[in-house]
Amino acid sequence: MHALHDEGVELIFGYPGGAALHIYDAIFRQDKINHILVRHEQGATHAADGYARATGKPGVVLVTSGPGATNAITGIATAFMDSIPMVVISGQVASHLIGTDAFQETDMIGVSRPVVKHSYTVFDAKDIPRIVKEAFYVATSGRPGPVVIDIPKDMTAPENLFDYIYPEKANIRSYNPPVNPDQNQIKRAVAEILSAKKPVIYAGGGAIASNAERELFQLNKILDAPVTNTLMGLGVYPATHERFLGMLGMHGTYQANMAMHNADLIIAIGARFDDRITNNPSKFSPGAKVIHLDVDHSSVSKIIEANIAIFGQVKNSLQAMIDLLNQSLDKYNKDDLKEWHLQIAQWKSLHGLNYEMYKDESDAHPILPQAVVQHVYNVTNGNAYVTSDVGQHQMFAAQYYHFDKPRRWINSGGLGTMGFGLPAAMGVKFAFPNEEVVCITGEGSIQMCIQELSTCLQYNLPIKIININNEALGMVKQWQDMNYGGRHSESTYQDSLPDFVKLAESYGHVGIKVEKNSDLKNALEKAFSMKDRLVFVDVYVDPAEHVYPMLVANNSLEDMWLSKDKKT
Amino acid sequence: MIKRKLILIMENKPGALVRVVGLFHQRGYNIESLHVDPVDDFSSYKFIEEKLETKFKENEISRLTIQTLVSDSLMRQILRQLNKLIDVIAVSNEETTYLKGVLLDENLL
Repeated sequence: MHALHDEGVELIFGYPGGAALHIYDAIFRQDKINHILVRHEQGATHAADGYARATGKPGVVLVTSGPGATNAITGIATAFMDSIPMVVISGQVASHLIGTDAFQETDMIGVSRPVVKHSYTVFDAKDIPRIVKEAFYVATSGRPGPVVIDIPKDMTAPENLFDYIYPEKANIRSYNPPVNPDQNQIKRAVAEILSAKKPVIYAGGGAIASNAERELFQLNKILDAPVTNTLMGLGVYPATHERFLGMLGMHGTYQANMAMHNADLIIAIGARFDDRITNNPSKFSPGAKVIHLDVDHSSVSKIIEANIAIFGQVKNSLQAMIDLLNQSLDKYNKDDLKEWHLQIAQWKSLHGLNYEMYKDESDAHPILPQAVVQHVYNVTNGNAYVTSDVGQHQMFAAQYYHFDKPRRWINSGGLGTMGFGLPAAMGVKFAFPNEEVVCITGEGSIQMCIQELSTCLQYNLPIKIININNEALGMVKQWQDMNYGGRHSESTYQDSLPDFVKLAESYGHVGIKVEKNSDLKNALEKAFSMKDRLVFVDVYVDPAEHVYPMLVANNSLEDMWLSKDKKT
Repeated sequence: MIKRKLILIMENKPGALVRVVGLFHQRGYNIESLHVDPVDDFSSYKFIEEKLETKFKENEISRLTIQTLVSDSLMRQILRQLNKLIDVIAVSNEETTYLKGVLLDENLL
């Protein structure tokens, strides 16, 4: 506890159990660190994750051995896939019992190995300060990620005293993430940029992790190039800026995917050319050169070969590019991109997303999920922290909520973890109690961590939950509609859904049910006017609605489904 | 697919080997053979000591020799993924050496 406090930790999410009891007793006997008791260890990891995404500070989790540790795995894997800094402390059975199949014993280091950046076992209590220091350093530096510290119970025994010194610096000789870029590569990149006619900036979660939003904005003040963000990168470039194309990839906008496909230069910033972005890599953007800025060597040229690789904190790399570009301003003419912008504007007007749906209040047809997101956007003035779960609602939120600031869009992009939204919203609310925090979810996802409604009651967290209820596992159903002849195998459960209003009320919160278009706006305004209450808004939407555009599998970025019967 | 030899220098810490072996499995690479030795003669690794500004002590580091069947295109990816592991100090194949992500001219082979 002492070491955690010295590391600057203010908040821990956790759940006690046998092997962690010494640590829990230490928590009881101090008042510097706040411990939040969740209802399931998965909730603890997602809450810490949400806290980390919103603040940029590492999330901290404390769980017990065995089931406590294994329950945390999904949340650790979620953080790992999205490169979120997190330190997870798991209790372990006493040293002399390890390997004996003792009660609640699991090889946590073994189980978590593929989904952590690194992990530590405490073999000697004297090592705790050093290990904690190293764990936080590893979790937060380079490409961030989760780190596990497994502590056998006897290592935390109160009679186990030693001279406590907290190290000032972590010193790991075998770990040395790049910080500053190679100046030669910057020169090459700038030369490439100066001669590009159809450049696109493609920024991802790494740009947010590196807090590079200012540098990105500044760079594009010079370049005036179109910008697209990945699902993880939304908010790093203002969505309402005229150069913003929207998200790209699987459910990206028509203009973003077309621009990427037809570009002559792609400037990839903290993005990893994931399969949801590239579609078929061999057909990806055939005419483009690629400049790739990343802190992780292994992310560059993994899927798409980079012509110019720039390793370092992308914030620093961008600054270096800006500095050099400022010296070459006479060689750059924004007007050269005019044709490119015209082409993009054409694409946008041809098949861009329809942002007018919220205006339709007719009860002649069911509520559209896109309209729900747009209403939420309007009611919150686009200023909310929005967490989401996984599925259609997640894509609608990404498409229709415009994020002008980074760290406001909190979702599980890489692992795609259903159940993430509510606990992540808790983590955000703890970090920013005075900010509006919305969880846009679906009736499938919300039921995966619904127990955390109890945590929200205990700590009085007035989150707003918008349940986009289509009475089915919408994204699964969409794929079954499109690829499996409409055979809805195990994706529906209309008759067995709970009454979410009563459910919210039973946890001491407010529930509102919305079934008609004409009620939607009022219901949302009412929900958001209740500043000190958690409100669960259960909105029944058109179950037949699909997410479009959608890339046609195994093709290029210009091959998209634009609606149920229209392909590019 | 050609059989290739890799050499790794890594910290001799509990769990380090399983991270390397696990990475091969996790990323779908195949191990043909594997050999581990603790290193006590550091004369060939002076360049690492110099670059890292450190002094190796007895039993502190291990040398891993791995034979693996991979394509050319995967090779660099394997080297980079291996070198990303916190406990792996340096890794070489016939052509390339990475020391904490940085390409070096020296070779461990």
